[in-house]
Amino acid sequence: MSERPLAIPGTEYIPPSLSDRPWIVRAAVQTGRFFRTKPLGGFGVAVIVLLVFVAIFADQLDRYDPQRVFEVPNPEYDPELAEQALDNPSIRLLHDEDKFTPTVLARNLPPSSEHWLGTDNNGRDLYSRIVWGSQVSLIVGIGASLLAVLVGSVFGIVSAYFGGVVDMVMQRIADAFQAFPPLILLLLMIQVIDTPSLTLITVALGIVGVAPVIRIVRSTVLATREEVYVTAAVTLGASDLRIMFRHILPNIMAPIIVVFTTSIGVYILAEASLSFLGYGDPRKISWGKMVNEGRLLGAAKPLMALWTGLAITVVVLAFNLAGDALRDVLDPRLRGASGRTSF
Amino acid sequence: MRTYVIRRALINIPVIWLVCTMVFFAANVLPGDFVAQRIALQNPISDNPQLQEQQLNAIRKQLGLDKPILERYVLYLRDLLRGDLGESYETRRPAIEGFIEGLPYTIQLSVMVLIIAVITSIPIGVISAIRQDTIIDYVLRVIAITALAAPNFWVATMLLLYIVRYDLWTVELTRHPLLWEDPVASFKLFIIPAIAGGLATGATVMRLLRSTMLEVLRQDYIRTAWAKGLRERVVVMRHALKNALIPVVTVIGLSVATLISGNVVFEYIFNIPGVGNRVLRAINARDVPVLQAFVLLLATSVVFVNLAVDLLYGVLDPRIRYS
Repeated sequence: MSERPLAIPGTEYIPPSLSDRPWIVRAAVQTGRFFRTKPLGGFGVAVIVLLVFVAIFADQLDRYDPQRVFEVPNPEYDPELAEQALDNPSIRLLHDEDKFTPTVLARNLPPSSEHWLGTDNNGRDLYSRIVWGSQVSLIVGIGASLLAVLVGSVFGIVSAYFGGVVDMVMQRIADAFQAFPPLILLLLMIQVIDTPSLTLITVALGIVGVAPVIRIVRSTVLATREEVYVTAAVTLGASDLRIMFRHILPNIMAPIIVVFTTSIGVYILAEASLSFLGYGDPRKISWGKMVNEGRLLGAAKPLMALWTGLAITVVVLAFNLAGDALRDVLDPRLRGASGRTSF
Repeated sequence: MRTYVIRRALINIPVIWLVCTMVFFAANVLPGDFVAQRIALQNPISDNPQLQEQQLNAIRKQLGLDKPILERYVLYLRDLLRGDLGESYETRRPAIEGFIEGLPYTIQLSVMVLIIAVITSIPIGVISAIRQDTIIDYVLRVIAITALAAPNFWVATMLLLYIVRYDLWTVELTRHPLLWEDPVASFKLFIIPAIAGGLATGATVMRLLRSTMLEVLRQDYIRTAWAKGLRERVVVMRHALKNALIPVVTVIGLSVATLISGNVVFEYIFNIPGVGNRVLRAINARDVPVLQAFVLLLATSVVFVNLAVDLLYGVLDPRIRYS
């Protein structure tokens, strides 16, 4: 039996730990790892990056002004008749109105090289409108989720940290919000203002989403509150505020981030449902409203609804995939118990 | 057990009171009240603004809207305690009548959605789990996450448009028979939203079932079952599935609550005169008593469905004790 050389501790080569490298290297390595281990999540992130790009540079990427109404030559137009009508207006009364208008709206054209996805029911370029519609989905989705997470975290921490009556009251309020049928609560809040604006819709969605966030944060804080470092902080005489936001909050960031990312898709869907029902911001181009316009065109022209709905599906899918992958990386315990509201 | 049920039921009382209060104040601050919107339009009264105001006030008085809001709130709570949910401004009939008329449609739709969700998700979830990381598993999972991402109103719309386009069957959007009135026509109409809703609910259930099945399949008693030489079907169905179903029952139970709200969109697309469509109409018409009554009844049902789901745990898993 040959004697194996003894490794003297501390002399062999130890590669520098990742945590000793500069943050930019760390971020790059971790991103690479994320894409390698979670290809579906990586796909989601890629689509989101693309979406953000499209939303920011919508004015560069659209091929036409989304509000521009296209017209095509009218096949019924009769130039001779129109000429005569200039001298003798009474001719107009004898013939169809169509004979006198040289062009008509380019309604519901099929896809072509000029209009990649065709035109909508008002003769506007569908592709350009879908590009612009991405802004609404993105702003509402991220805004509402951010609001719900911010408010929900504060309430959740306070509720769990103080316990007792404060906890009891807050939990009952959260119960009441969750007992409300969410879509109806949303409609009520939106109807309080005469014309719904994008901000109002975002805020309303965020409020509806607060209760489930409170639940998740509260249960995590209940466990964290018993940790030794919290007891240590209490012993050192730290104030309640300091303990809650300097000691507890940083330690529950993982579930908070997870709830934030996994909820965005749900809010995008909810905004689409609202504008589908006709309660969206009337001044904005929204995918939900476009699906409804496509629906009203009937079975002969299903393409407008098809394309727009597909856009919603892809975007929501991307956010769900990215959110789920991030959850697996950050906090696998949260599987199944998502803080999502369903609308 | 009994004290647990009583305590849970009592906790629900302040929750329901909060819901009533919220909906009362939300509904009463909605801009444009019913009187001005509807009645003034129907009988265009005098052009004289003073006279107009007088007539409006007379109607407000008739509806009890002339009192200050706090007094109305107290009266509302008093009537509630007497079991009176108020009467519709529009039809002058008790608000609860409209709810009862709409309920069969909403229940039929919800039950159909649930049936489709269960019959699609349970076999798919089980297959996906026992064939983990195979092609079948990947395909089923991709279908599930896509079904979860697709907006339900869009799926319903596309189904409707393509069924009509390829003339698969005639969908009548003007008549809404219930299953026991005209089974064939009813099925033809309701099956479309049921599929659209069932896929989304089913996808949630399938994903959850898959992950709990995977967990259960690694348990010792499953290994024992295999070691005893039981057939795969017995191990999977009797030993694994039965235990994996507990969290699934929660999700299905909780989705019963959201179904009623989620059905608003389907009832809107298919013109079904269910509860959801009536709520939309009450919001648009500012018919405050109807709105209050419907939200109260829906919230109460949600709260008690949740309680029922919790109690069902104990039946499914005798280890769970209530205290």
